[in-house]
Amino acid sequence: MAVAGSVKMALQVAEVLEAIVSRCVGPEGRQVLCTKPTGEVLLSRDGGRVLEALHLDHPIARIIVACVSSHLRKTGDGAKTFIIFLCHLLRGLLAITEKEKDSLTLENIQTFERRWKNCCQWKCISQALVTFQTQILDYIIDEYLSRHFLSIFSSSAKERTLCRSSLELLLEAYFCGRVGRNNRKLISQLMCDYFFKCMTSESGMEVFELVDNCFVELNVSVTGLPVSDSRIIDGLVLHRDFSVYCPADGDIRVAIVREIIQPVFSTYRSEFVLNSETQFQTSQIWIMERTKSIMKHLLSQNVKLLLSSVKQPDLVIYYARLSGISVVDCLSSEEISLIQRIIGLSPFVLSQASLQCEISDTASVKFCKPFILRSKTYVHLGLISTCTFIPHCIILCGPVQGLVEQHENALYGAFKMLQQLFKDFDLNYIKKANNQNDTLSPPIYKNSGKNNQLPKSYTHSIQRPYQDTDIKNNDELEETQYLKVHSNLVVSNVELETYIPCSPPKMIPTDAVQTDETWRCLPLENNRVIDDYELLIESNSASNSITENTRIEISYENFQVIDIAEKRSMLPVKYKSVDTYKSQSFCSSSIPAGCVLPVGGSFEILLHYYLLNYAKKCQQLDEIIVSKLIANALLGIPKILYKPKKGNHSFPQIYLRALHTLQTNQPMVSSWAGLESVIGKYYLLTSVLQCLTKILTIDLVINIKRQPQKNSDQDSEDELQH
Amino acid sequence: MLSRLEAKKPSLCYSEPLTTEKVRATLSVLKGILTSCYGPSGRLKQLHNGMGGAVCTTSQSAVLLRNLSVTHPILKILTTSVQNHVSCFSDCGLFTAILCCNLIENVQKTDLTVTTTIKLNTHLLNFCTNYLRSEVCGCRIPVDFSNTPILLCLVRSILTSKPACMLTRKEIDHISVLILRAFLLTIPENTEDPIILGKSIIVPLKGQRVTDSTVLPGVLIEVSEVQLMKILLVRKSSPLKVVLFSTSLSGDFSDPGEGNVVVSDGVFLENAVLDQLINLGRQLVSDRVELVLCQKVIHPSLKQFLTTHQVIAIDRVGVMLMEPLSKVTGAQPIGSLGSISPGSYGSVKDWCSAKFGCKHFFHLIPNEATVSSLLLCNRSDTAWDELKLTCQTALHVLQLIIKEPWVLLGGGCTETHLAAYIRHKTYEEPGSILQDDGCTQAELQLIAEAFCSALESLAGSLEHDGGEILIDMKYGHFWSIQAGPSSVVNWTDLLSRCGCGVYSSQEELGWSFLRSTCHPFVPQTCLPHESWEVSPQSAHSLTLDCLTAKLSGLQVAVETANLILDLAYVIEDKS
Repeated sequence: MAVAGSVKMALQVAEVLEAIVSRCVGPEGRQVLCTKPTGEVLLSRDGGRVLEALHLDHPIARIIVACVSSHLRKTGDGAKTFIIFLCHLLRGLLAITEKEKDSLTLENIQTFERRWKNCCQWKCISQALVTFQTQILDYIIDEYLSRHFLSIFSSSAKERTLCRSSLELLLEAYFCGRVGRNNRKLISQLMCDYFFKCMTSESGMEVFELVDNCFVELNVSVTGLPVSDSRIIDGLVLHRDFSVYCPADGDIRVAIVREIIQPVFSTYRSEFVLNSETQFQTSQIWIMERTKSIMKHLLSQNVKLLLSSVKQPDLVIYYARLSGISVVDCLSSEEISLIQRIIGLSPFVLSQASLQCEISDTASVKFCKPFILRSKTYVHLGLISTCTFIPHCIILCGPVQGLVEQHENALYGAFKMLQQLFKDFDLNYIKKANNQNDTLSPPIYKNSGKNNQLPKSYTHSIQRPYQDTDIKNNDELEETQYLKVHSNLVVSNVELETYIPCSPPKMIPTDAVQTDETWRCLPLENNRVIDDYELLIESNSASNSITENTRIEISYENFQVIDIAEKRSMLPVKYKSVDTYKSQSFCSSSIPAGCVLPVGGSFEILLHYYLLNYAKKCQQLDEIIVSKLIANALLGIPKILYKPKKGNHSFPQIYLRALHTLQTNQPMVSSWAGLESVIGKYYLLTSVLQCLTKILTIDLVINIKRQPQKNSDQDSEDELQH
Repeated sequence: MLSRLEAKKPSLCYSEPLTTEKVRATLSVLKGILTSCYGPSGRLKQLHNGMGGAVCTTSQSAVLLRNLSVTHPILKILTTSVQNHVSCFSDCGLFTAILCCNLIENVQKTDLTVTTTIKLNTHLLNFCTNYLRSEVCGCRIPVDFSNTPILLCLVRSILTSKPACMLTRKEIDHISVLILRAFLLTIPENTEDPIILGKSIIVPLKGQRVTDSTVLPGVLIEVSEVQLMKILLVRKSSPLKVVLFSTSLSGDFSDPGEGNVVVSDGVFLENAVLDQLINLGRQLVSDRVELVLCQKVIHPSLKQFLTTHQVIAIDRVGVMLMEPLSKVTGAQPIGSLGSISPGSYGSVKDWCSAKFGCKHFFHLIPNEATVSSLLLCNRSDTAWDELKLTCQTALHVLQLIIKEPWVLLGGGCTETHLAAYIRHKTYEEPGSILQDDGCTQAELQLIAEAFCSALESLAGSLEHDGGEILIDMKYGHFWSIQAGPSSVVNWTDLLSRCGCGVYSSQEELGWSFLRSTCHPFVPQTCLPHESWEVSPQSAHSLTLDCLTAKLSGLQVAVETANLILDLAYVIEDKS
């Protein structure tokens, strides 16, 4: 498969997936019904599940699905957004190449896109994507985006406390995308209650880990009852019935056993030789006596409940009943380990040698009683927790198993999302400290940047698909010419085989010198640059006024005016680039735990805005291209979210207002009540970029016509046979 | 191994499944099947398997849906959802299924967006459940357990609505009394909290007259005639000391462990085990046990030993009877061949032999226990199966009544009354239904109309004989006129009582046809007390439904309909 074709192919595949996924995204999203080969039906709005159910066999589709799955395993959220974002990125990439063909027809041989194509190919783009993801993204998030972050913790003087209303907003927004619309309120309330009931003030990550590992054991699904019967109950519900139930109260102690209590004639790899009938009878009597004495001993320790991971024989059950000990056997090892983690109790071991067995460990339970749900009996245990997790169970009801499963998965995903949110996340990047800018005149600098920004973003986000005029191409020409100057730097950095110097000779030496310095991370004291910058400020303010004037006339319909604005605004950028060489230093910062943003595309619009801003100031060709590409692709998500809204809440209106508030430094207002996790979005962005890199770096798909084989499994099986 | 790793075939994915003609057609076929079964005059379905097996005639949703092989995923959602409801509540399966079909059909005609539809459906559902649980509700009656006529009416209504049981009026009366008696026997005398109900065991007796059915306290164990003859030779005493074994007494060597057990030459384990069994028998005899019951097999030698010592031994009781037997006798099931602790023994008041039809039974009569046996007779196999299921339904419904002691008016009256009430409220006080979430009043009226007509056509499907259905304008109850020669001048003379039997047509009532559009009117809420504190004669004719089951059915129907309407895609796994 040709490489250039692969992007086109990938786009086709992604577009098909987008068509399916976009109907399930957001609060207006609908359900998908999946059938399994076994005949079961599953309801889902979970993008990952839908994609997996499709069983796609197209190679690129399989890459995408694999990437989505691994992303979901990590974060539990964002499969649908993943596809939409990827689709827009591919579309953007393809648009770059398309544009280049246009420019060829206009006989612009010097266009940088063509060079891009010729020199770097897709590999270069993918490398640029990696660079972006590892360096620029962190920088932008820390430097710009972080000032917009909200926190779900209400920060008091000493310690942070989780704010219930914020958590409710966060969860409601999460479940908007995951469960049917008539149940989301209920499920998010359930989750919120569960969270607060299980947590103590000192609970931390270990609770999340516990819930993550033992989620199946912590909930009980009941079909045939209305969803509204779902509830949370105190204690732990084991998915088994009592083998023996003896009502008990007072101090109930519990013991765990992992083996059969009744001694057997012979153990594994041993032989028991019966020499006479009496020997057989005495050994049987001994077995009975011993079982009896173990039970007596348990009772003397006040053990009233025996939890066993294996099936206990009739004899044990009988003596347990006689001693008034309740027995629950056949517990799964997961259930046993969950109980062990909660009450910090290890199973007792029966010693074969001495008749007197030692039961070192018992723990108290508050209660232990049968729990009847839909005519099935479960064991309900009131465990006294020794860790920070207070045991509670979720009972999920629904008319069909498929719906219950959907809710279960959504709750599980929500826990994953919260788990990510409650961790600090480290950001590492190379900071380009712009001393000159900061010391000289930051306000002017800021203004210029932002005013230039606006018209630019119009053309890229809204206008581009509809408009293709000569003026536009002129813009590109202008832009490309300036960019070309620095392209040599890019090229040399990534070590490409072809390098055509064709820029004004005057600029080259300065570039080279400065890049050398920056790579050595030396602070810059360059007077000439400062001079240049002063010059720039003048030109900026001049162009600002022009931009300002034209901007008054800007309306959503009038593209022509915007074009002019853009054309003018290109000018200062060109000069500014000269001084954006800054000293570099390695920075490490973090996204603190609990960072959230309002839902409804806030993250996307903000990042879009700052990326374009960054692209303006940036001097490296590939960074500019990649930043713009990503910035524009980001808008795809809010566009879909706002699709059903009309009038004042339509996407262009929202977008304009958001840009305006950003320029005037006002706080962002979202039309939706709800919050979403920043870290989740960050992970999503990086996962998509990784996926795109993967797609771009593949140059050939080799078809293997053979049964797939599991290497490791096959080996171990062979070993067993030999 | 290889087959498991076989590459999956791509799935089939199609959008907007409900809009396709095929789905609509299959849905309406299913609806047709279900509606034709509904109610006392519902038509029976014969489930015929060309590959063999028993012929089954039924009109119950549980049997019908279990046997229908539904392939389309949407129908599968519908049927499993109804089946799950039935397994929880036993009753109101057809109600749920038909209402769900009606809702889907009606809502699709409205052309509103799915979002609004689902929102409004949920609001209407909440409105209905609130009304049905509220004090002002005009179609529910409190149940007092001292008032047996109401309970009897409820049981009778359930039996009447299952025509495949093939019972006459007299037989229905007989069986409903038996069911109620069997149920009352399961309620323990000392009412401590929580009440643990006993068990009614249904004992099959096919090929007998229905009126031969009976209820007996205690447990019936079927034994062969020969065995019974032997038992009868044993002299009786009262009370009897009983022992109950859950382990096998056949002398098998159960668990040798994971290693090997080597038996030397000349050692006969059989003898050793038999010795052990006889020792056990000796202990039983010396402890003056008179009845040995074993879940599994008793070794013939031990049996012989016991019989010669005047001990009755009955083996192969089966695991199903173990719990009731333990309850009846108070004995603990013994899992050991070792010495038996005296606390494990139980006792019964008496035993007797009984013969019903051609079957012989050993009847254990308890001192006081909450276990009863319901001997159920019916003429044919299929009718017996249907009757058994109906009895189980009735017993389950009675249990539900303990938790929530309310019944709803049956015979279609609840549905029509509810529809009238919703109509009235949507026009008069739409704010009481609409919560503030952006739905307009016009949208509400459209959906409410769809919802109400779904309820009304559900009530209408009770009529299968071409009769006409009317609604009175005072109570909103359901009235049907028999189809027949239209020689009668005044058709109102044909009306005697409404569907549930609470009102008679003597009163001055306005009438409207069910399927015609009528002005919304205010149905009278708050049932008059006289209607349920009536003399046994008039209470005799009431048709009632269990509130818990019906309410849950309503919820499940609306939730399932919402679910199906919300589907944007169906992805079918073809591998």
